[in-house]
Amino acid sequence: MRAKRLTGSLACLVVLTLTAAGCGLSGGGSGDGDATAGGCKVDKGNVGTGKLSGEVKGKITFQTTNLKKDFGDFFNGVIADFEKAHPGTEVKWIDDPGDNTFTTRTVADAQACTLADVINVNAPTATALTKAGYLLDVGTKDPAASKPFVPSFWKTAVFKDGDGKAIHTALPWYTGGVVLTYNKDLLKKAGVDPAKPPTTLFGLFADYEKVAKAGDGKFYATMANPVWRIPSDFDQMGIKILSDDGKSAVFADDPRTAQWVAWMAKLYKAGAMPKDSLSSSNDPSTLYSQGKVAYGSTNPSFVRFVKQNSPSIYDKTAVGQQPYDALGRASAGAPQYISVAATSKNAPTALSFAEFLTNAENQTAWCKDPNVVIFPTTTDSLNDPFFQNATGSDPFSQARKLVADQLKTASTNQTNLSPAVQNAMVAQVQLAMQGKKSPEQAVKDAQEKANELLKQAG
Amino acid sequence: MTAQITKPVPVPGTETSLPGPAPSRLRALLPGPSAGANGAAMYRRWWLPWLWTAPAIVCAVVFGVFPFLNTVLLSFTNAKPLGGAASFVGLDNYTRMLDDSDFWLATRNSILYAVIVVPLMVLLPLMLAVLVEKNLPGIGFFRSAFYTPVLASSVVVGLSWQWLLADDGLVNTWLEKAHLIRSAIPFLSDSWLILLSAMGLTLWKGLGWYMVFYLAALGNVPKELHEAAQMDGAGAVRRFWHITIPGVRQAMMLVGTLTGIGSLRVFTEIYMLGSSTGGPGGADRTLPFYIRDVGLDPITGNAGYGSAVSVALFALTLGLTLLAQRLTKEDES
Repeated sequence: MRAKRLTGSLACLVVLTLTAAGCGLSGGGSGDGDATAGGCKVDKGNVGTGKLSGEVKGKITFQTTNLKKDFGDFFNGVIADFEKAHPGTEVKWIDDPGDNTFTTRTVADAQACTLADVINVNAPTATALTKAGYLLDVGTKDPAASKPFVPSFWKTAVFKDGDGKAIHTALPWYTGGVVLTYNKDLLKKAGVDPAKPPTTLFGLFADYEKVAKAGDGKFYATMANPVWRIPSDFDQMGIKILSDDGKSAVFADDPRTAQWVAWMAKLYKAGAMPKDSLSSSNDPSTLYSQGKVAYGSTNPSFVRFVKQNSPSIYDKTAVGQQPYDALGRASAGAPQYISVAATSKNAPTALSFAEFLTNAENQTAWCKDPNVVIFPTTTDSLNDPFFQNATGSDPFSQARKLVADQLKTASTNQTNLSPAVQNAMVAQVQLAMQGKKSPEQAVKDAQEKANELLKQAG
Repeated sequence: MTAQITKPVPVPGTETSLPGPAPSRLRALLPGPSAGANGAAMYRRWWLPWLWTAPAIVCAVVFGVFPFLNTVLLSFTNAKPLGGAASFVGLDNYTRMLDDSDFWLATRNSILYAVIVVPLMVLLPLMLAVLVEKNLPGIGFFRSAFYTPVLASSVVVGLSWQWLLADDGLVNTWLEKAHLIRSAIPFLSDSWLILLSAMGLTLWKGLGWYMVFYLAALGNVPKELHEAAQMDGAGAVRRFWHITIPGVRQAMMLVGTLTGIGSLRVFTEIYMLGSSTGGPGGADRTLPFYIRDVGLDPITGNAGYGSAVSVALFALTLGLTLLAQRLTKEDES
């Protein structure tokens, strides 16, 4: 009798577990309502083609990434201003630590239909969430949403939904900018004239080669890991990485890709890069600050890092224009975005807060904060005298001025690669740099590996 | 006022080690005979053991059984990490796995990791425990020092090892100063050396943890045996092999099993020393690393295929654990 009861109990347990497991296959969330987004039941107004309507009232959550510690006062002020301007609203601020499990946690939140109402995302996360249908199409839900932004930045906030249709699911927030940073003394030793910066990436590589010869193992030109250059170098050179529908890799079809890999292999062999940096996650900050690397990171905040941590190297530092190459203009780097969850229970308030946070006034105020080196994405903010009339001849001031000058016309169309595809490409280039594969074979294999991943994504 | 305690009535043929008497207030809440009636009958309700163990069972089901079964089910689908419609694809994921050279490379690395790390992790902490077991002045410092890496996060330990093993790091600098090498050993750019360095890191970080296991086990080895053997002329090495090792055999079995499972799940060490690609060309990727690449990427991940690789990892872990148990039993017999 007892055995029978035990068997019965276990059977119940297994059935319950299997039932629960079966639910897991659906991707989470209930989906039996009229409107669904990413498998979650949502308000009808959050999806479809109509403009979002409804009262701006009630509670919403707002998620940032590791900002509370340094900018708590600023964001609390923005939240208070919004709540004052819209009585009856309440914004709960969540600050994610932003470690390497951020994307995993965000994915888990999305699957559980508990994504924050307003969320700070980068391009890869926005790509993934848009494809799965978890983000509000702000371009459709508020046709006037684009007005404040520099057109090129607004253009970057386009991601493809599950059907491959390009939609605006994010508002541009801020960007870091791109500049060439270098140690004047080391360039002089190598015979490179800092006053004549190269106009192409291969021209820059030629300068790296000169540094390698002069350095002879005592100092280097740059770091080896191609992860710092893929896909930004390809974008700058105008190499098409993905097909128009984003479903296959096409970079191997451009002969310049193999030439780029050949250059990287040549430079690595010549000693232009520390050998142990081939698969290291270290950026140039440490070695540059020690005077062992001639070219630093391409971010203006890097110049401030050097100023604070290595004043003697800062005195030798200068900034210049990153080669325009085939793109013909500067790159603004990948901006940060603010998105609204399609699963929001209070989408009108969430969209209103997202637009308030990214408006010219708030962007300008934050970018003027002395604790940060970032640049706004709205036209009015960039016209602010703070950015247009930057003075000072020190490298940090010059970097700010250079980037502010570039941003109105800069290209912002960085290819959004998934981390797995980027790693697959980087891995093959590393093999070519070690001489284990020819550049042509490495490019061919990289494209095959990338296509395997893109194919399984569907 | 004290709670009224009622003695359970002994029932012939039943266990006498039933739980102690329950307060009458609790009994009043339970269905069955009322207070004063046959109280022991209450404890013989078939569902009562299930009730007591329910919290543990629920936790095990929610955090263990359900994820496991879900993984097995997912392995027959083309599910995506971000959800959405998934359809059954039969054995396609498993067929693909068999033809996937990257999967086999990751499997080789994982097995190699276990084969090298497990024996060392079973023996080295034991030797360390024997060294620090004696109560000598200042021995507490050494016990603490050996245990310190356990407390440090894997990321901090990984960064420290990066500095140690860099071309101009401490290890290469010492070796060069001692004229043992002419040029730097490529610990961080050669795929084999990255794998071996990661193993070293795992060993270094785990030594202190398993040393504590063995210290507890060594306390149960009778001192008289050592004294008798010493009187019979047995040296330290002989006593170690013939008294200490048999005395801590069960602990060794446990350490071997735990280390085996841990070795097959290694990720952070490879990531810290080989970066996001898992070494140059991805040559150092282990199975968990590979699962991340193919299954968990939010844009291009295939949770179905990732689950199939996870099931393979489970089978490998189970197989190696059963093999270890069998070998140990044969050894004992």
